[in-house]
Amino acid sequence: MVAENIVECHVLVIGSGGAGTRAAIEAARYGDVVIMSRSVAGKGGCTPMAEGGFNAVMNPEDCSTLHAEDTLRGGAYLNDPELVDVLVSEAPERMKDLVNWGAVFDLTPEKKLAQRPFGGQRFNRTCYAGDRTGHEMMMTLIEHLRVENISILHEISAIELLKSGGKVCGAAGLDRNGNLVLIKADAVVLATGGAAQVYEVNTNCATGNGQGFALAYRAGAELIDMEMVQFHPTGAVHPYDARGRLITEAVRGEGGLLMNKDGERFMERYDPERKELSTRDIVSRSIATEILEGRGTGKGGVYLDVSHLDDRYIEEKLPLMLEQFLNFGVDIRKEPMEVAPTAHHFMGGVRIDTNGATTVDGLFACGEVTGGIHGANRLGGNSLADTQVFGKRAGESAGKSPVAEKEIDPVQVEAIRARLDGYLAGEKSPAEVRKQLKEIMWESAGIYRTEKGLKKALSGIVDLVGEKLKAKGRENLIDCCTVADMITTALLVVRGSILRPESRGANTRTDLDPCIKPEESPYGHTFQSLEKSGIEKAEGN
Amino acid sequence: MSGIKKEKINVSILRQDPSSGSEPEFRDYTVEVNEGARALDVLMAIRDNIDPSLSFRHCCGAGQCGSCAIKINGEPKLACMTAAADKMILEPLDLPVLKDLSVDLVSELSKMPGLVPCECEELPEKDEIDKIKPIRDCIECLCCVSVCPAMKVVDFAGPTRMRQEMRLALDPRDSRNRVPLTVDEGLFTCTTCHACYLSCPKDIEIPGKAIEKLRELANRQGLTLDRHKEVAELVRTTGRSVERSGKTFLEKVPEVIEPYGEVRAEVGFYVGCMYNMRVVQTCLDTIEVLKRNGIRVIVPKEQVCCGSPLIRTGQTQILDHLKKTNIDCFVKRGIDTVLTMCAGCGATLKKDYETPFEVIDINQLLVKYGIEPPEILNVKVTYHDPCHLLRGQGISEEPRELIRMVAKEFVEMPSICCGAGGGVRSGLPDEAKALGKNRGIEIEKTGCDVVVTSCPFCEFHIQESTDRPVKNINSLILEGYRKKDGNC
Ligand SMILES: Cc1cc2nc3c(=O)[nH]c(=O)nc-3n(C[C@H](O)[C@H](O)[C@H](O)COP(=O)(O)OP(=O)(O)OC[C@H]3O[C@@H](n4cnc5c(N)ncnc54)[C@H](O)[C@@H]3O)c2cc1C
Ligand code: SF4
Ligand code: SF4
Ligand code: FES
Repeated sequence: MVAENIVECHVLVIGSGGAGTRAAIEAARYGDVVIMSRSVAGKGGCTPMAEGGFNAVMNPEDCSTLHAEDTLRGGAYLNDPELVDVLVSEAPERMKDLVNWGAVFDLTPEKKLAQRPFGGQRFNRTCYAGDRTGHEMMMTLIEHLRVENISILHEISAIELLKSGGKVCGAAGLDRNGNLVLIKADAVVLATGGAAQVYEVNTNCATGNGQGFALAYRAGAELIDMEMVQFHPTGAVHPYDARGRLITEAVRGEGGLLMNKDGERFMERYDPERKELSTRDIVSRSIATEILEGRGTGKGGVYLDVSHLDDRYIEEKLPLMLEQFLNFGVDIRKEPMEVAPTAHHFMGGVRIDTNGATTVDGLFACGEVTGGIHGANRLGGNSLADTQVFGKRAGESAGKSPVAEKEIDPVQVEAIRARLDGYLAGEKSPAEVRKQLKEIMWESAGIYRTEKGLKKALSGIVDLVGEKLKAKGRENLIDCCTVADMITTALLVVRGSILRPESRGANTRTDLDPCIKPEESPYGHTFQSLEKSGIEKAEGN
Repeated sequence: MSGIKKEKINVSILRQDPSSGSEPEFRDYTVEVNEGARALDVLMAIRDNIDPSLSFRHCCGAGQCGSCAIKINGEPKLACMTAAADKMILEPLDLPVLKDLSVDLVSELSKMPGLVPCECEELPEKDEIDKIKPIRDCIECLCCVSVCPAMKVVDFAGPTRMRQEMRLALDPRDSRNRVPLTVDEGLFTCTTCHACYLSCPKDIEIPGKAIEKLRELANRQGLTLDRHKEVAELVRTTGRSVERSGKTFLEKVPEVIEPYGEVRAEVGFYVGCMYNMRVVQTCLDTIEVLKRNGIRVIVPKEQVCCGSPLIRTGQTQILDHLKKTNIDCFVKRGIDTVLTMCAGCGATLKKDYETPFEVIDINQLLVKYGIEPPEILNVKVTYHDPCHLLRGQGISEEPRELIRMVAKEFVEMPSICCGAGGGVRSGLPDEAKALGKNRGIEIEKTGCDVVVTSCPFCEFHIQESTDRPVKNINSLILEGYRKKDGNC
């Protein structure tokens, strides 16, 4: 006997965000599917928080080659061109799926999907539902899920992928009370989202802890470009405990202006052509520089102003922003917001092929937990598209996996139990370790990095690895597992950054010259797995 | 970032673990948080620094996922969007508790209907989108479900499922006709009390934008309750929603009622069917109070039912005619302020009409102009908030202010619907009775002598569930004046 709670299915999907639900819907065409979700399904993850939009070529005057070029240029040519091709060519179809399933996107008077401009793109290609696009998408997917025959394990957190004979064959999870749940499956789709929670200031939801990166890494999967963490230029600076909360790029898309404390529209200096609508890495660095050089506001940000726009326009296009700021006493129709960069998105992650297959048998992945699609910097609006395009593909591939006799390795389960027992006998509060980790990451692996800082971060994190985390009761076991996984993910980021001797995209090294022509960089992906790590040479360079 | 001020916050949290069989109990905590902290930050600080076993949910931290709803000082709120305040009391929503502040959301959410796409691939029209959007923002936090009085006494799918049903009904991509099903799910059990709307962090107006609209669709499919059809027929044939039983208020008073002293204000008076025909004496008492306080009252005799019983039950065919008659009768007389004393009519005139004149409730009027102080009566009074006054018109302080002027002692009770509204008293009397009974229990708890309210439906209905007299505020004020007159 290995455990009381064993569930069996054809495909196990871990995560109920945009990617996970899309994968589950697709996989359900091939067999029984179980979704394991850390949150109540649909309530977790960053998908419901996405505000700005979904990039898809829907207008005959736009074309997918242009979308691909924008994506590659935005990604500093570190993207996998094949993955980009799939993304841009299938995004319109996936958008149509959503619409057929009932998504309520904004329409033009001609009953076409409305599209707004977004940073780094040469065409207005971002479809949206006001500034609650992700929520609209999530509700549509959840509504669709409810009419499918898919079983959902709500509030069960994956803590380990189960393996048998070199193949992933399920996962171990903890329920609300800390009881171990084991799931056997022919294939597993990992869709646990990103990890910006490893930074002190971030936009992510509480599940954005990067457990998926750690799970995949421990299961032997290869991860790429983990150093590529996007800092969104515009995070809130007030209230202090909610700092980092995203101010959507749509604010700039709809005409918002960035200004320093002297009222200067400083983006004119950094990117005279695109100004506020430059790519995120550039805008983030520009804001960070303004603040560092003393031209920031009293609260440590810069101004983002829409008060010159018509009140009604703001109410219609940015209702959520209006509501959130009003809630904290700022009327954005009349006064500027204050913003500063915030950790936002993981471009790197589990290496996948165009079918969402990872380097480990039986394990598929989709969404933010994967790497390669967005290169060194993601364009706003490409992620929601990514969750749908690769969610479908990963779900389909997993669904097509052969049905087999499923074994659980009792030795592995014993090891998991021993780890959990260790936490019950631990010493250090996981909350404290988490706090230290976040500070180290923000301090030394943030927007601006140096080799010295990264090495310091590395040794600081390695010290944290040695802490004996303590669970006060079984229900706190998950806190320990989460912090341990955050540490693993943070290590991958820092090591990835050390592996990359160039300033490129989101990996900004102030001790190295900026990479002026990233398309000519001699480097490709950084890669890390249990077995090997390094940096690839760019093809053809 | 330097110089962030810290603040100390004391909170009381209702802790419980139903699996252990122990009783829920309040525990007090003191934590230090940063200036501007939200209730959620306080909970996190307690869990991180004091007691990791405290259970609560959160995820997005930005009002977008609906995980974190709890009761803060008795009101359902999103913990992530509510500023922390010293001495706040945090409790779980009124839903089955899993542990501490975490309640069972899944049982309810799994019943939420999904969209079954038709093959038509048709996009909704712009005006359909415009109608769907205001009911689409739902983040499934279940605040509304936790406060719905109807769900507590009958089998009713509840506000957010009704919202979802309306959203599906509006969408051409879902080809099913689920309206008959919604009737089985309790469409007509909603009292239109607006508690769901007021509790909704996304301000979704479920009664007006979903339930009444679904009732209209039900009406078109012949699914209106027989008793409601009778009321509509009565309005169509007599212009009134209640049966005549004697001389009406309109027949008893002249068109212009002059005050005793100097004229301080002039208003048109919209009476409403109940005051005109059922609780006439209360209405006459109010006129006495107005006369005594210098208000000239003009009562156009051609006014008719405001249409509220039709709107609430989805029978809106003759509504425009009623509205026009009522608006015209005041406009013709050049009246710029119209007084209502029925909470339901007031809410209807304010929200369902577009009037060229201002509509003012009697409580607002009396407080605005100030009244001659009555003699204090030696009674202990509680007040029942009429749904259509408190939630429909946002009036809560004025009636209390008036009561305090006349009653020796005033005790509060929770404001919950009495069950009379939304056509429930006429259509589903058993439900109305069950809700009334709950009111009776609350009234009993207060130990009051008199129940005061400000709506004829409530007055009439609550009286059936309590042995204490139920009175209108104005009747009580008039008693105060009579006592004063008797004394001098
Ligand atoms: C505030 C914000 C705004 C954004 N706006 C946009 C935008 O406008 N356009 C755009 O394209 N992109 C946007 N993004 C990025 C985009 O939202 C995400 O990259 C994308 O939604 C990720 O989807 P996902 O399904 O991979 O992961 P998520 O949506 O994050 O879902 C992860 C799921 O995994 C679950 N999970 C996590 N850990 C575990 C575990 N251990 N066990 C079980 N389950 C687990 C979670 O509960 C959740 O259900 C935004 C991101 C943020 C944070
Ligand atoms: S109006 Fe009142 S009775 Fe009707 S659904 Fe809302 S809370 Fe329930
Ligand atoms: S309707 Fe409002 S209160 Fe009800 S679940 Fe939705 S968001 Fe919450
Ligand atoms: S945490 Fe998501 S709504 Fe409060």
